[in-house]
Amino acid sequence: MPHKIGIPKALIYYKFAPMWKTFFEELGLEVIISPETTKKIRELAISSAPDEDCYTTKLYFGHTMYLKNKVDFLFIPRFGSKHKTNIGCPKFIGLADVLRSMYSDLPEIIMPHFNIAKGRDNKVTFFIKACLVGLRFTKNPVKIIQAFRKAMIAYKQYKKQLIVDIETLSKWEQSEIMVNDFPILKKDEKPLKIALVGHSYVINDSYCSLDIRNKLRELGVDIITSEQMPRELIEEQLTKHEANLYFDFEREILGTILYFIENKVIDGIIHLMIFGCGPDSLAGEVASRFSRRNPVVPLLQLVIDDLTAETGMKTRIEAFTDMLRRRNSSFAFQLPALRIT
Amino acid sequence: MPFSYPHFGSLNYIFEVIFREIGRNDLIIPNKPSKKTIQLGARYSPEFVCTPFKMTLGTFIESLNRGATELGMGGGNGYCRFRYYWFVQKLILEDLGYDCKFVTFDYEDPLQLLRTFKNAGKGVNYLQTFRAFRYAWVKNRLTDKVDELLYKYRAIESEKGVSEKFAEKLYRDIVEIKGFRNCRKFLRNLPEIFKQEIDVIRDADPLKIAINGEVYVVLEPALNLDINKRLNELGVITKATVTLRKFLDIGQRLNPFYKMEHEKAIKYSHKYVPYNIGGETRENLGDVILYKKKGWDGVIHLYPFTCMPEIITRSIFPQVSRDYNMPVLSLVLDEHTGEAGYQTRLEAFVDLLERRRDIMREKKRLT
Ligand code: SF4
Ligand code: SF4
Repeated sequence: MPHKIGIPKALIYYKFAPMWKTFFEELGLEVIISPETTKKIRELAISSAPDEDCYTTKLYFGHTMYLKNKVDFLFIPRFGSKHKTNIGCPKFIGLADVLRSMYSDLPEIIMPHFNIAKGRDNKVTFFIKACLVGLRFTKNPVKIIQAFRKAMIAYKQYKKQLIVDIETLSKWEQSEIMVNDFPILKKDEKPLKIALVGHSYVINDSYCSLDIRNKLRELGVDIITSEQMPRELIEEQLTKHEANLYFDFEREILGTILYFIENKVIDGIIHLMIFGCGPDSLAGEVASRFSRRNPVVPLLQLVIDDLTAETGMKTRIEAFTDMLRRRNSSFAFQLPALRIT
Repeated sequence: MPFSYPHFGSLNYIFEVIFREIGRNDLIIPNKPSKKTIQLGARYSPEFVCTPFKMTLGTFIESLNRGATELGMGGGNGYCRFRYYWFVQKLILEDLGYDCKFVTFDYEDPLQLLRTFKNAGKGVNYLQTFRAFRYAWVKNRLTDKVDELLYKYRAIESEKGVSEKFAEKLYRDIVEIKGFRNCRKFLRNLPEIFKQEIDVIRDADPLKIAINGEVYVVLEPALNLDINKRLNELGVITKATVTLRKFLDIGQRLNPFYKMEHEKAIKYSHKYVPYNIGGETRENLGDVILYKKKGWDGVIHLYPFTCMPEIITRSIFPQVSRDYNMPVLSLVLDEHTGEAGYQTRLEAFVDLLERRRDIMREKKRLT
């Protein structure tokens, strides 16, 4: 019987899943990933997580609790940063420690620490740390090295598939292609072009994001998400400002918004924010300030927390798309950034 | 261009020292913030940003209205929001119609810090800047000591308000002292001066509580509703365990034979959080153990609403507190914190500690 290792499907799972999954599978473990967020997981989350944590971190607790009795090990890396100056979110580093402190009945947690910006890690230590994790499950070094290689390849491929290049982006902007599911259109309706911006673990978690992707599809919206945006563009956009936004995963969010505010080729931007989120509170403000200074592409900021109701969200999105359609037919109508909690 | 900076508890005096030393005679020294200040800041702040943002923004607006045009603030790349504050505040202030320039200090990197100070100064070279800097950290040791003694004597003084007035005078003296030798002498004499100046209640039997948490909340009385004073008035000796000297005091940082208090605390916290996660998490967790060993009675942990590192600290505290049998009270603070409720919680905690102490003494007597 192979050991079972559980990976909660929340937070940076959505960034690194292919890498982790391949690695453990190649080592001969059975990888058990918690299912998509459900009402039950949300309830688990709310009862098990610290009150004041952000909604997504709470969901992480919910997923962990779901896996608790189903696995022999849990994989909860203490992820600090993968960039030479920029970091993730402090909460990612503390997850494993908080969980282990609050719940002594959890299975053994595999929690390697990795931090380039502040922890003197680099590619070599990354490899060594992966090997150390591997050694816990097999004594065969060849197997570990192979698992590592395959994991890296899987990760690269995943990123390549996910992120579009500049050429593809400009084709999308010209409405020549689509980069996500086809929108459902009524007769004589042209699709609206909207950028859906937010943390990967929000926009890809349909329960957490209140199924916004499908809603937009039904409203005839053709979307591109912030995680699909070409990195060069985002970096270029952010270097225009004197301050370095050192939250690595927030960069794609702010970069995307600023890019489309300046670029003016699409109809609107929807920014999903998480209540109480540190990086969002600042980057969201920067976004809304720039949007008000240059109000051509409307920006809708929706703040989500564990109490947000689906119906309320739906009306707001509908109102926003309606407004965009009306605006398309009668131009010269301006709307400032709108933030709704 | 008149220069200003955020108000930061008694560190305010230290900032004054350093900027005067580097030739800035055009300082607008920030006023002590009040409830109004934070409400003013909150009005223009992002809704769920952490509280220090609102307080510093409010202070900036007040200083700008008094004529400041250049503002000093932390910068660089950090773990949490603080070092990105300035950029957002700048945008907000611009939108409000203020014309201002930010000077940002990356306080983690001593060389960079020195360079920024030199450039911010007027007609000073590196040597002079270094000297100014050294003044700052040496005098910071003095203000920290005065704080410590004030929080002790205010709890046991026989005539109310004497220690506070006395400390106020000492802070001013510290700003004015010339020469490192005099600073050192002053530091040595401080405990003695307090002893001579202030009459204490003879048979006082004070509890001792360590106050820690997010650095700004712990050090800025306007934000923590002057927690030290409140506890002192309940007859409790307190001590703020966090200090900016962990960045500023390069003398002690580089001294291989000297272990700063926070370094000891970090060591103790190793089994709970072995890696830095920003903020003061590790120090705060370690403090519980450190102060237990020193024989203190309890710890109060303060943190701003939505603070990222301190929510982690707070979640791990129960375990540390259990493991070492040391009571910890975590309090979250923001601009809506009501005084009455706050006072009640402090009083309840002090009661609890008192009862605990009685029980423990009783036990000791019996064995
Ligand atoms: S980035 Fe924001 S939403 Fe994500 S874990 Fe950190 S605080 Fe929570
Ligand atoms: S330590 Fe907490 S309060 Fe301070 S800036 Fe960071 S998140 Fe905000």
